[in-house]
Amino acid sequence: MQKQSLVESVLDNLPVAVFAKDATDDFKFVLWNKKQEEITSLRAVKALGNDDYDLFSEESANYFRSVDKAVLKRGKLLKVPEEIIDTKHRGEVHLRTVKLPVKDEKTGHDLVVGISEDITEQVQSLRQLEHLNKNLVKTNKELADTQMQLIQAEKLESIGRLAAGVAHEVKNPLAMILLGVDYLSRGIDPDDGNVETILTQMREAVERADRIVRGLVDFSSQRALSREPVKLDLVIEEVLLLVRHELTRTTTNVVIDIEDNLPHVFLDMSKFEQVMINLVINAVHAMHDTPRGELLIRGRSERIKDVIKNQGARKFEVFREGDRVVILDIIDNGSGIEKGDVSRLFDPFFTTKATGHGTGLGLSVAKKIVALHGGNLTLENREDGKGARARLILPTEIDTGKVSLVPKLLKEIDT
Amino acid sequence: MANKVLLVDDEAGFTQLLKMNLEKSGGYEVMIENDSTQALATALSFQPDAIVLDVVMPGMDGGDVQAQLQQSPRLSKVPVVMLTALVDSAELSEGAVAQAGTTTVLPKPVDLNLLLRVLEEVLPEG
Repeated sequence: MQKQSLVESVLDNLPVAVFAKDATDDFKFVLWNKKQEEITSLRAVKALGNDDYDLFSEESANYFRSVDKAVLKRGKLLKVPEEIIDTKHRGEVHLRTVKLPVKDEKTGHDLVVGISEDITEQVQSLRQLEHLNKNLVKTNKELADTQMQLIQAEKLESIGRLAAGVAHEVKNPLAMILLGVDYLSRGIDPDDGNVETILTQMREAVERADRIVRGLVDFSSQRALSREPVKLDLVIEEVLLLVRHELTRTTTNVVIDIEDNLPHVFLDMSKFEQVMINLVINAVHAMHDTPRGELLIRGRSERIKDVIKNQGARKFEVFREGDRVVILDIIDNGSGIEKGDVSRLFDPFFTTKATGHGTGLGLSVAKKIVALHGGNLTLENREDGKGARARLILPTEIDTGKVSLVPKLLKEIDT
Repeated sequence: MANKVLLVDDEAGFTQLLKMNLEKSGGYEVMIENDSTQALATALSFQPDAIVLDVVMPGMDGGDVQAQLQQSPRLSKVPVVMLTALVDSAELSEGAVAQAGTTTVLPKPVDLNLLLRVLEEVLPEG
């Protein structure tokens, strides 16, 4: 072996890879320093005398060759900000390379000299940074969403407090009017039919106002739930019994499809019945113009997965991946939900029903009750567009600490 | 002779309307006391067969009045109907009533028919 020349030892100690190809001799490598060995995982003895096609993939070799030719054609230095080579030991290696044409004065051959710097780590850091940044943007968006929900929740709480105050003040005068009506209706002049009509209408008006007041009190109710483990099919049976009149009157066909061996859910029966009655009656009313109204009540159990997808951070707090939940769908084939109404469905006093036919509190109360149960209530149009679907997701465990969900939002109720 | 009912509630309009209704529909003899601190004295002189007592009142509340009544040998056996808005009407819905000893608790605002029914149950044959 020849004694290393000074130039060679300088080249081998450089922190950058240096190589040279002889363009006059089919671009075979004529120089390959230590760092180049290290970066490419290829020894100089193997590389020298071979060309790119012998050492790299055809795709890479084609690319290197085209750059080499461009360098020669331009006759001046060319910077390649980033190129990737596949190596045996290190996989993909990212390089920043400059290539320059050099004339070998002894042989007259045209050489392409390359100097490469390994920038793999920088590239990886950059990727990581980009990834982190993307996460940050996502987190930021989730935060903004949560903030919106908080504002919404706060708004609802304020309405609730205000409503409770009003309700309390209105309850007693209403009771007095009713006592007055009660008294008057026990001594009607039988010849004056109007008096009875007037009193009946007065009574109905007071009862309507009373329903609204009760709804308000429910909406802002701070009463703790009294929960017990119950079987959902029994609850549904009972609810259907309570709304039987409405179902018969509207000739609604009810189909029940409850999975066998559904786990128990922990419910405050009377509160939950209120929710179910609301949802069923809503569905029945939505099928007012449907010739053959059909109500499907479907229950099944599932483990939660992919919680974050399309859901806000608030829901994320309710259930965690792996939680076993019971999903109860109430599906109708009615008129569905108008697009513009979707965002307001759960707002107190929002109703699509005619004045006097709905307090606009049913769904907001239902949502709140379900939330108190650590569950979730959503309402949307069916995918096939043939009606709407109310979906209740209920936890099957009570002692998970997730029951008192969104404690900050509902702190009034907890305390 | 008609059964005697004493109404103790600070709201004069309410008691007046209730009195008229109880007299007309229940045939009771009704006396009103709007000042709870006078409830015991009124009860001792009126000797009611039943007492309808509001819970939230200024001065003495319904609970205080009831305690006084309990200590009076002549009144301790008289059935008491407590009216309270503190009981959630949902808890006592569908005419349900809570009972403890001689005391019956009814949600407020009171449902006249429910009150008449309860009075009928707790009062001796008139």
